[in-house]
Amino acid sequence: MAMLEVRDLSVRFNTPDGTVSAVNNVSLSLEKGETLGIVGESGSGKSQFAFALMGLLAKNGRASGSVKFEGKDILNAPREVINPIRAQKIAMVFQDPMTSLNPYMRVSDQMAEVLTYHRGMSHRDAVAESVRMLDAVKIPDAKGRARLYPHEFSGGMRQRVMIAMSLLCRPGLLIADEPTTALDVTVQAQIMNLLADLQRDFGMATILITHDLGVVAGFCREVLVLYGGTVMEKSPTDPLFAAPSHPYTRGLLAAIPRVDQIGDELSSIPGSPPNMTQAPKGCPFAPRCGFSAEDCLDHLDPLTEFAPDRWRACNRKVEELA
Amino acid sequence: MITYILKRLAIAVPTLLFLIIVSFLLMHAAPGGPFTQERQVPAAVLANLNAKYGLDQPLWRQLASYIWGIVAHFDFGPSFIYKDRTVNEIIAQGFPVTLTYGTISFVVAVITGVGLGVAAAIYQNSWLDYLAVGISIGAQVLPNFVMAPLLLLTFTWWLGWLPGGGWEGGQWQYMVMPVIALATSYMASIARLTRASMLEVLTSNHIRTARAKGLPESRVILKHALKPALLPVLSYLGPAFVSMITGSVVVDFFFSTGGIGKSFVDSALNRDYAVMLGITILVGALTIAFNLVVDILYAWIDPKIRY
Repeated sequence: MAMLEVRDLSVRFNTPDGTVSAVNNVSLSLEKGETLGIVGESGSGKSQFAFALMGLLAKNGRASGSVKFEGKDILNAPREVINPIRAQKIAMVFQDPMTSLNPYMRVSDQMAEVLTYHRGMSHRDAVAESVRMLDAVKIPDAKGRARLYPHEFSGGMRQRVMIAMSLLCRPGLLIADEPTTALDVTVQAQIMNLLADLQRDFGMATILITHDLGVVAGFCREVLVLYGGTVMEKSPTDPLFAAPSHPYTRGLLAAIPRVDQIGDELSSIPGSPPNMTQAPKGCPFAPRCGFSAEDCLDHLDPLTEFAPDRWRACNRKVEELA
Repeated sequence: MITYILKRLAIAVPTLLFLIIVSFLLMHAAPGGPFTQERQVPAAVLANLNAKYGLDQPLWRQLASYIWGIVAHFDFGPSFIYKDRTVNEIIAQGFPVTLTYGTISFVVAVITGVGLGVAAAIYQNSWLDYLAVGISIGAQVLPNFVMAPLLLLTFTWWLGWLPGGGWEGGQWQYMVMPVIALATSYMASIARLTRASMLEVLTSNHIRTARAKGLPESRVILKHALKPALLPVLSYLGPAFVSMITGSVVVDFFFSTGGIGKSFVDSALNRDYAVMLGITILVGALTIAFNLVVDILYAWIDPKIRY
């Protein structure tokens, strides 16, 4: 029994412009201590997938399918069921550390309340434990800094605070939703190294959501490629980079700028992600795909295993993608 | 912080001076005077009266001696209409009344307004929300000069529960209707402001973080959402408090409470220059003071604000 079992998770939003299908029938399973990357462009449904797991969808969002965590059904679970799981079992780090911390509370107070509430610790003990955790995420002078407010930290330090806060209860699963997107490049590397260290030290399973394949390559054992809310490819990381089996994955990989590529124009995938109010009947990527044929517009073959542990959803065979 | 407060208080002095000069000139620019009456007063009597109250002096001299009286003796002069009373006495008698029912109205308006607004935001688009919005719109469109007679009709005439007017040193029976009449429209504004800003705060990222921490919703609202949601309400509360404690002519008129709200309007109608200026200065000084209080509260709530 895997720690996390997601079956056919779909997320829909009711908007004034119609129903938006943000996530379509995504399934995955994650074992203890494993690392999974979910990649895709902006608007591919990565974040909404994570919010659905945690029950954090916006009010107009509806999730369907099933999510089992340690055998317990947590999708759309009532507050009494999901609240003890949040932070204690599944914790989340958000994209924008500037706005994700409460600007009106001292860092020590917003961290400590996790422990006072879930662990019944006294405020003093909880603050002491929070300071230890700030130390663990390598915040210099953690004791003194804990008394500060979030705006008194730099972006990278704030994300460290966010990470420290998420780890307070030693969760079995950490969901990191684009943890480095809002940070500058050098800080990105520090945060990813920190996450890798913590992941190893604490042995927690991690879902890393990102649009940066480079980040995934260094961190995740397995990768899931999302496009238009649909899984395009699922594969262990190394073979995915060595031989991407899906036209979309290939496009993504080709779009990574290379150091030796001097003077040339940067490569990109033509077009833009689909408007999900009119969810396409066939393959969502078909309009932008160099290999699409007529059948791609009206149906998409289901995810199939084409090599050990490697899955793809594409009407063209791997060999056809010369 | 201390220097900031001192600076603000220093700015208050020229502001008040400006207020005095402008009100003084406007009052004297209006036709008529305190002794203009329907029945013509003989010219000799009028001249005597004007001389007694200094109205025969050039304007600048009247203004200068008025300001000097305030600065040197804290004396706002005699009433031009009530021969044996000074402005200080009139304010000392009426202000405690309006201060009392104004403060109570303020507390009532804040508690019910914030409560209604928060509840409406949490249960957005539910019957509770519609009820809260309905109440606040109703309370806002019902002017207090309609509300006051309706209250009197209901509680005094039909039910006979409450006395129809008077103050009696502020016994509670005499205060119920003034407070309802005064608080209702403020409550409505506070409720609408609170609801709108709470709705915005509830969609913000740090609220999502608080929920991701597995905190119960009550704690998310009270510890994480309420403070930022009340910031925009706070800037409304400063001026609202001042206008509540300086009374309402409608309340003073319908319930004969004897507050300065009525004195103020009477003084304007009677050209009782001194009373009118005195109350204007009181309102001005209180407005300045409570805007400062709001600014200090801002710094206390929002750690990003430092003076």
